[in-house]
Formats: sequence, structure tokens, C-alpha cells
Amino acid sequence: MIHFSRFSLDNGLRVIVHEDRSTPLVAMNILYDVGSKDEDPAMTGLAHLFEHLMYCGSANIPEYDLPLQLAGGENNAFTNNDVTDYYLTIPAGNIETGFWLESDRMLEPGFSQKKFDIQKNVVIEEFKQRYLNQPYGDVMLLLRPLAYTIHPYRWPTIGMDVSHLENLKLDHAVGFFHSYYTTDNAVLTLTGNIKPEVAYDLAVKWFGPIPRRPVTIRKLPQEPAQSEGKTHTVEKNVPYDALYKTWHMGGRSSKDYYSLDLITDLLAGGESGRLYNRLVREKNLFSEINAYITSDIDPGLIILSGKLMKGINIDKAENAVNDVINELKDTTLTDNELEKVKNKFESSTVLSNTSILNKALNLSMYELMGDPDLINREVDSFRAIDRSIVRDTAIRYLRPENCSTLYYMSARIV
Amino acid sequence: MDLLRHIPPRIFPFDTEISVPAESVSLKNGIPLFLINAGTEDIMRMEFIFRAGLVKEYLPLLATSTNMMLTEGSENYSSEELKSVLDFYGIFLSLSVEKDTAGLTVYFLNKHIEKVLELIREVLFRPVFPEKELNLLMKKRLARFKVAREKVQHLAMDQFFESVFGPHHPYGRQVFEKDFNGMCPSLLADFHAKFYTPEKMAVIISGRIHEQTVAYSEKYFGNMRSKEIYIEDPKNVIKGADQRKKHIEKAGAVQTAFRIGSATINKRHSDYPGLKFLNVLLGGYFGSRLMKNIREEKGLTYGIHSFVSSLDLAGYKVISTEAGKKNRELVADEIYKEIGLLQKNPVGNDELEVVRNYMSGEMIRMFDGPFATAESFKAVWEFGLDFNYFIRLMNTIRTITPDEIIRLAITYYNIDDLYEITSG
Repeated sequence: MIHFSRFSLDNGLRVIVHEDRSTPLVAMNILYDVGSKDEDPAMTGLAHLFEHLMYCGSANIPEYDLPLQLAGGENNAFTNNDVTDYYLTIPAGNIETGFWLESDRMLEPGFSQKKFDIQKNVVIEEFKQRYLNQPYGDVMLLLRPLAYTIHPYRWPTIGMDVSHLENLKLDHAVGFFHSYYTTDNAVLTLTGNIKPEVAYDLAVKWFGPIPRRPVTIRKLPQEPAQSEGKTHTVEKNVPYDALYKTWHMGGRSSKDYYSLDLITDLLAGGESGRLYNRLVREKNLFSEINAYITSDIDPGLIILSGKLMKGINIDKAENAVNDVINELKDTTLTDNELEKVKNKFESSTVLSNTSILNKALNLSMYELMGDPDLINREVDSFRAIDRSIVRDTAIRYLRPENCSTLYYMSARIV
Repeated sequence: MDLLRHIPPRIFPFDTEISVPAESVSLKNGIPLFLINAGTEDIMRMEFIFRAGLVKEYLPLLATSTNMMLTEGSENYSSEELKSVLDFYGIFLSLSVEKDTAGLTVYFLNKHIEKVLELIREVLFRPVFPEKELNLLMKKRLARFKVAREKVQHLAMDQFFESVFGPHHPYGRQVFEKDFNGMCPSLLADFHAKFYTPEKMAVIISGRIHEQTVAYSEKYFGNMRSKEIYIEDPKNVIKGADQRKKHIEKAGAVQTAFRIGSATINKRHSDYPGLKFLNVLLGGYFGSRLMKNIREEKGLTYGIHSFVSSLDLAGYKVISTEAGKKNRELVADEIYKEIGLLQKNPVGNDELEVVRNYMSGEMIRMFDGPFATAESFKAVWEFGLDFNYFIRLMNTIRTITPDEIIRLAITYYNIDDLYEITSG
């Protein structure tokens, strides 16, 4: 059971505190409710670039990292389709340094034209390093626009194309800040060695004076239901053919979320999953195969990916995948198999809760969804799923008309 | 009262107290258990360690294949049954092979401890290395290998180890496609019999430790005897290449990967804590010289890092980055320039203070919670050291002088001794 206190400041900033005296550290997490889905389709990659710009100093502090390092702290951040998240850990006695730094950059960041240009280059190198210079690195650049026609999940967080990043201007970044980095568009969470009343006083002191700015109201196009299966084939300079299949699902708060999470665990939960047993172990069709859900706030994706063994025909491999999928719609699930994935979910939840950083991020995400106490109900939600729910959910979602398939073929002659 | 935002809050000292948290117990047959009892959740971690790393292998892939086959079938369970029962009890099991050690780590809910120990005994001491599973493993590994060889980072790193430690020493030997045909069950069984023996095992246990842990360990491991005692006869010697610069061409690459460094001292040497400090200053944290210059001022890369790593027979240091192909010369020049500056100019007090405090904060993280403490314990235990190493490191962090940093930079970062490996 994770106990927490929760309050809001007058300017709308939501604050959550979970005290854990077993650590000498405090984790501070600031989640901004803005991600790559909020970008202009002609200027993708801006949300993530902006995350980099948040480290270029702020209104009253020339440099972010230096004072944090002096106080013994360490930090990082990530951006995804939905959110931008900044986190740090610091010895408990110096937590005020965290409040000082984070509140100042929420007030006003301090990047110049020069720093903007440098960080743009850094992010372009990141694009190349992680998406272009890796075998299969561009899969999400291909799969997302195949699955989505109008929703902004059709591009990945790094951006649709390097040219989008190259064309970004300083003004775009300034506008982005004023639109989305507002007090009532953020969640501040503290976990670890800190009392709620201390956190409250420090939040009022440092974040309280930040004026509330109007946040840009989000109006995203909703993806229409897919009515027929889609396919796309590419040839690339990679050693093996690969198969990617994706199905549309609901958002993070939809009622089928945990059932689909459980279904992907049945399919690919480690080496006792059905896909591995049938397609790697028994039939030697794939060298690796995986399935997961994207956990997006808006309607997301179930994604299956597999690399074929050398010399295996991709149609044959796909048929075998479809057989495994279709078995979920029959009544072959045993109590033992169902219990197995539930037990694994439970121990992974307990393990995740041994880290103050994980607890801080999870509490923030659940606050964004409306109820941080969901962190204490995850395991029960998972446990409540029975065999008929699994079967029914598989039938409703894992349909060929709801599926997009990417054939990622090796251009090399074997 | 107006808030003075340009004035930083006071910084309080935050030194971590380094005590010896591990309690040590021996089973009847001598197997040592080290217990680090702390934590808020009913979950435990157990790490089983053997001196069965790459350094012991007499054929490429032997150490890793033996380790990876441990969960592929035992006297009482098939591969499929093992995977399924491990998952049924919610056990997270990871196998690992490093240059010197190998073994496995499990995380599990305390209530399952007895089942966990029964299964671990199967995995570690009763594997049967079935041929069918071995063939599948080698096919999977070959596929992973061929994908990895498409990445400039891997090409550069593999060549780096070969150049530094030599093509014949297991620390440096590269793997080739033909090696994947060379494994057979009897070779693995032989390696297992030599190196995965009870008298060569140590166990590090951490978390909110179940009160019956020692008793159950006694029940499942305390009566085991080693079948054969293998006397080792190491023939390989470490010998670095004469050629200091090497480029591996990779058609179609849009970036070049850099690995610049050389063999160096390890944790047992008295200069090691100082070398760690110098490494952080050069490229070991976000505010480092290399990161500031090459990423934050010039935007040439997504990241540049330097590492110092300790092995049983040696150590190595390496600077690692990926940058646009056209900037290859510039990046290399800037790296050498930064090393040169550390050899010539004393580090200023402000920067010294930042590195001292950053590293002190890292020390707290290294002992934050039972699992982190267990890893820190292993990091000294495997070198025959104890927690005094961390006390020496802490003292170095607090007291190292600018002159000492210059001495270390001259002694350990002689540019003529460094290998420069690039791929792209």
C-alpha cells in the first residue's frame, strides 16, 4: 500500500507526496501534460527538442545542472507522445535546491538563439544515432503512419523527419512554452525522505508565486475506427526479414486496458509466452518475437514484432502468428496459465515499488488520469480478469480488419 | 517577503556513512552467503556468482553458451517447464556473463523462497544441456550477432577490446560467424563441471530477507559436494596491438562510432580512486569536460562518455561517442585537446567542488536500498576487497588536489598510448 498526500496550489499546480523514510534521498518528478501529440504536423519533434531546451538555464539561474550537482543531485527527463517528464533525486537535506531549480524553469526558461541551435544539432544527432543508424531503427517511423491516418500518434516523438527538426525556429519553442508549460498543466510529485508538510511549505514558497497562464486547449482529431486490414512492405539493408503487426485499442483509462495488457503477457510474457513456445521453440520460424501495448492516454496500439529465422517465408511466418492469435479466441486458456501472468504482474508491481523514482512517476501518471490511488489498485484490476474476459477481448480487438501489417524485408540475397 | 530567485538555497553536507552492511554466513560445505537485510517491500534479490566468465573459456562462446543453457532443461524439468514454473511463481531470473564472473540473479516475492531455491538448484547444478535447445540457442544468438554487427557501436567496441587485450586473450577475442557452429552439449557440460561447482559459488542476498533464508539455503545447497576439482592453467597473456589507430568501414553509416582508450590499473591499485575522479571530470557526468565541449558547446553528438572499468587481470578506460561522419577528425582532435588540458592546467576550485559533490551524491545512490548496496558489495568483493575501498574512494573525493589530478592525467592518459578505434 502506497500512502500519499495530495493538494493543489492556488495557481492550479497539483502536488503529491509519498513519504518513504527508508532512503536518504528524495525523488522529485514534474510531469507536464504535453507530448508529441500536441505538435503541429508540419513541425514534429518540437516537444522533445523543448525538453532539451529546459536544460539551458532559466530566468534567474544561468545553468541547471551545475547547482544540482553541487547539491549531490542527479536528473534526467523523457518525452513521449503524451507527456514530458522531468525527474531528479537528491540527498533529502538539499531538496530545496530541487524546488528552486524546477520552479524557476517553470516560471521561464533561459535558452538563447545559440543554445537553441546547439540543442537542435544534438537532437538531430540523436535522430541519426537511434533511428537512422541502427538496423530496424526506423520501424516506428513506418508503423505509426500505417496504423494512424489522422491522430498525431502517427509520428514518433523524435519527429516525422529530420527536416522538421532542421526547420524549427526559436520562436516555435518560445510559443510552445507559453502554450503548455503552465502551472495547471503540470503535476509535481515528491517521494522518499520528505514529510508532506515540508513538501507543502516548499511548494507554496517556490511554485506558489508562479502566475497561472492560460493553457492551450487540446483539440486532437480522433482516429476513426479502422474498417479493413492494411499492409505495407519495405526492403532495407538488414540481415533478416521482420514482421510487425499492430491493432488499435482504447486509451489508458479504457475498460479493456488491463485485459489487453494481460493478453500481451500471455502472448509474450518472457520465454514461457505462447508466441515464443510455438513460433521460436517449436517451429523455429522466428529468432525473437514480442508483443506489448503502448500504454498511451489516447487510443493506443497493441504491437507485435518478430525477426524471422533465415530462409523462412514471411507468409508462412505470418500465418503461424495468426494461428496463435486466433487460439486466444477459443477456450484454450487454462487457470494455471492465467494465474501465471497474474502472479508475474504482481511481482513486477512490487519490484517497481522498491524505487522512489518509479513510485514518483507512477503517482504522477495516475494523477494525470484523475486518481493517484490507481497505483494501489493495479494488481486487483489485473486479478479480476477471467477467462471469458480474455476470450471476449481477443475477439473484439485482434480482428484482421483492425490490423496493420508491416513487412520489413531484407534487401540482401541470402 | 519577495522571493530572491537568483540566490540558491543553502547546500547542506550530505556525506554518506559507509558501514559494512553485509552479514556473512557459511553453509556446512563452506558456501558463503552475504546478507544485506533492508527494504520496505516483501521482495528479495539473490545473486549466485561463479568465476565462470569469459576469461575461463577455452573456445569462443563457451562461457556465454553454458550460462544461457542453464535454464534450457535440467534433470527434473524440461526447458519449457522451467520457464513456465519460474513465471508461475513470479520470479524474475536473469543470467549474466561478464569478463570474469558469471551466474544468475533472481528477484522474487518472499513467500516463494523455498520454491525459488529448489528451482535455482536445478538450474545451477542439474542442467542437462539438451541438443535441441542448444541448436535453437545458437540460431538465435547468430541472428542477434548479425544484427549487432550492423551497428557501428558494436563494431568499434569489439575491435577496441581486441586491440587493447589482444586477439587471443578472452578479454579481447572477437567472435566470428563460424564460432556459432562450434558448440556441442559435451563441451558445455565439461565447462559447467569445471566452473559451476559448489565450492566456487558465492551468494549475495538482499532485500527484506525472509527469516528462514539461511535454513532453506542449507537445505538446498549445504550438502552439495563438488564432483571434480579442476586446477586451472591459464595460458593466455594480455598483449595489446601495435597499431594504435584502426578504422572499420561500415557502408551506409550516417555516424561514426568512437572508442578511444587503453588498458589501465584496476581497483586493487592505490591510484584507482583518483583515476575514477579524473574520469568523472573528463567524461563521467553531464557537466564533464567532454560533454560540455563536444555536446553542449558544439552540438556534435547526442552524448559522449568516458568510463574506467576494473577487470580481474587488468582494467581499461574508454571514451565513447557517436558523431556525424564528416566531423570525425574534429571530434577526435577535441577529445585529445581536453585530455591535454587536464595534463597541463590545474583544475579550478569551483569545478573541483562540483565533481566532489556530484560523486558524493553518487555514493549515496550506490548504497540507497538493499539492492543497490548488494551491487556495490559485489563490486568490491569480487576483487578480494571490502568496504574500505569505498572509504578510500570517499576520502579521495573529498581531498584530491589539482596537482594530483595532473599527475594522474599524465600517468594514465598518455595520448601516445591510447587506441583510437572508429567505425562508420
